Amino acid sequence: MNDFISNFQETMSYVGVLMPSLLLGAWYTVKLFVVTLILSLPLGLPFALGGNSRFRILRGICKTYIWIFRGTPLLLQLFFFYFFLPITFGIKFSAFTTATLTFVLNYAAYFAEIYRGGINSIDKGQYEAAHSLGLSRTQTTFGIILPQTMKCVLPPVSNEAIVLIKDTALVSVMGVGELMKAATAAVNRDVSAVAYLIAAVIYLIFTFLLTLLSNYLERRFSVYDAKEEW
Amino acid sequence: MGQILEMKHIVKDFANCRALDNVDFSIDKGETVAIIGPSGSGKSTLLRCVNCLNRITSGSISLNGETFVSTPAGGKAEYIPDKELRRICAETGMVFQHFNLFPHMTCLQNICYAPIKVKKEDRKKAEARGRELLELVGLASKEGVYTAQLSGGQKQRIAIARGLAMNPQIMLFDEPTSALDPEITGEVLNVIKKLAEEHITMVVVTHEMGFAREVADRVIFMDQGKIVEQGTPEEIFKNPKSERLRDFLSSMLK
Repeated sequence: MNDFISNFQETMSYVGVLMPSLLLGAWYTVKLFVVTLILSLPLGLPFALGGNSRFRILRGICKTYIWIFRGTPLLLQLFFFYFFLPITFGIKFSAFTTATLTFVLNYAAYFAEIYRGGINSIDKGQYEAAHSLGLSRTQTTFGIILPQTMKCVLPPVSNEAIVLIKDTALVSVMGVGELMKAATAAVNRDVSAVAYLIAAVIYLIFTFLLTLLSNYLERRFSVYDAKEEW
Repeated sequence: MGQILEMKHIVKDFANCRALDNVDFSIDKGETVAIIGPSGSGKSTLLRCVNCLNRITSGSISLNGETFVSTPAGGKAEYIPDKELRRICAETGMVFQHFNLFPHMTCLQNICYAPIKVKKEDRKKAEARGRELLELVGLASKEGVYTAQLSGGQKQRIAIARGLAMNPQIMLFDEPTSALDPEITGEVLNVIKKLAEEHITMVVVTHEMGFAREVADRVIFMDQGKIVEQGTPEEIFKNPKSERLRDFLSSMLK
């Protein structure tokens, strides 16, 4: 019994020693996540609209972009930008900036397809009603179609956001000191998997918070649904 | 009273059928026209060509003296540029079978959106007019309600108010009661009747023979993309001349 207690105390103090570096790593993860989301969510929209465009060249450009960024591994894209930009163009960004750039381009491609699916799911009667009232294409898109699209893309978008928070672990290979990198460093140094366990708990807390946020937004967006009796 | 809509030699081809086959149709200001006929006869297509939801293959259409599509001899129909076309199409109000209300807006917002955005009307003024229209269709209490919470009949009445808000030259009704339960078609038909009494120019595609008979100044019978017969309700319903109209009317009475 005494053994157990002293073991427990020992473990706790070890956790205490680990926490500062893991929290710093978690901070990087959050930063990468938030910046990526803030930039890629809006960037997906022009590609979604372009992918639906009447103009074939614009449509071709958007589809090609989406094809490339959805069609190759994110890890490969990270390496590509990390090594290719400095060597070919002599542009040297920090590892964090390069990682953000890659994530934004990659996630914008996914968001574009989610938006496009949402836009295409809107009943054509909505376009006809808008047309019969004399609304222009732009007014129809931004006033009628997109506000309705917001609601139905929310579940797949929050799904992607949860994937993103875990994908950030990939940038540890570039030496960015995010959560996964910090945990791996501790594991290698102390030959103990405790750091991984703590990292797992931190990731779970992040995804839990995201789920709460997405539930809240879903409720907000469903104000115009019929009130169900049951 | 002058002609407000004139359609000449209208042909509309879809991929594998001819929906309208050389149709001539015109309507005077203040007139109420009912279009009847079996399904697939081209009634809805005719209506949709008026506000450019369908584009004609050949022929010409003028609204209030402005020709927005015409066909050079032997050629294809040529429309005026999009921006002009939109302005003219906004002069026609359309009421759809499936309402097509905007679900993310309240009833009042549905009605006021186009006047504010398209006509750049002042919000206060548009809303005051919107409330008048809600009153007209008997739904003043539903102003702030989202459309999903309305019954079918109420939705269609809001759709009518939305169409009227643009002060159109013509109101077009595409089977306005076909998606409604029989016992609530009355509330929608009563609103349309009220508009007819105020001499708002209207074209109503309908399967409600009783309504066509009571409200229309003129009834048009279409079959297989052609206008087969037209005349006053009296002529059409009491003395149908063509075999096809007689068949149609007797099948409707069954």
